[in-house]
Amino acid sequence: MHEMGIAQNILDIALNAANQEGATKITRIDLIAGELRGLVPMQLSFCFSIVAKDTIASGAYLNIEEVPVTGHCNACNSDFPVEEYQYLCPKCASTKIQVTGGTELRLKDIEIE
Amino acid sequence: MKINVMQDVLQANDRIAADNKQLFQKNRNLVLNLMSSPGAGKTSLLEKTAERLAGKLRLGVVVGDIETTRDADRLSKFNIPAIQLTTGTACHLDANMVASALPHLQLDKIDILVVENVGNLVCPAEFVIGEDYKIMILSVTEGDEKPLKYPLMFHESALLLINKIDLVQYTNFNLEEAKANARRINPDIDIIEISCTGGTGLDEWIVWLTAHYQKKLGDLTHA
Repeated sequence: MHEMGIAQNILDIALNAANQEGATKITRIDLIAGELRGLVPMQLSFCFSIVAKDTIASGAYLNIEEVPVTGHCNACNSDFPVEEYQYLCPKCASTKIQVTGGTELRLKDIEIE
Repeated sequence: MKINVMQDVLQANDRIAADNKQLFQKNRNLVLNLMSSPGAGKTSLLEKTAERLAGKLRLGVVVGDIETTRDADRLSKFNIPAIQLTTGTACHLDANMVASALPHLQLDKIDILVVENVGNLVCPAEFVIGEDYKIMILSVTEGDEKPLKYPLMFHESALLLINKIDLVQYTNFNLEEAKANARRINPDIDIIEISCTGGTGLDEWIVWLTAHYQKKLGDLTHA
């Protein structure tokens, strides 16, 4: 249940950004979440609705954009999607793979009133 | 009105982890974040490690549990500083919890600090605490498919200790399959088979530990 701690962090960042704008309500939050983070969107939304209660973000829609895992092969320089967490270059079978996507966990933007 | 924010969600944690790391560097500590399922053998490993490092390298432990101080009690018998963090309901340690334990340790009198995380194969892998390496234990009674089910932890770990190897003959755990699964997720992962009760592989573990401590000192000198 790391979703609860993450939901709290999302709320803190969103409230902070909203306060700076003098907002009275947050209606939507856009989150970018890499697949490697292992977040369950439904659980995260549920946790968020609990922590956001009695704040100006209460009832805000949490939109979660999931980012698939991508890799870069250091041997042949090709870029490819990593399927099923197999860190193997589909072109040259090298295992010298650098993860280029899928670890992000970023609050992109918020919509306020 | 839409406002662009673009902030890392865990930046508060990452910032505290960076402070912890700086403190560890100042005190020349090698710091390991030890993770596993409950009952895989984290505390047993630390007991054996304390025995074998005695008089050679100074070990310190921060141990996280949801409740009780039983693990720290077990470790204090070995005359090593052991600080217990009870996390209440939290399923993992974060940088701030670890930071709260540090004033209770004399870091300048510790060479290797092991942070024994809460038993859990998911959440601890998400939060950096200022460690040099994440390491993990998988015990043979848990099943050889675990790397595929919990990819993040295996992906993040520098070392996988396969514990309770003396029991492998009584289980359907396929050792080669487990190693192949771990290497599919993390081709660079080091793997050592151990038995905390029988003693198998513990020498190799101590060699790994000592080599990484020396490497850390070398890196600090060249930094």
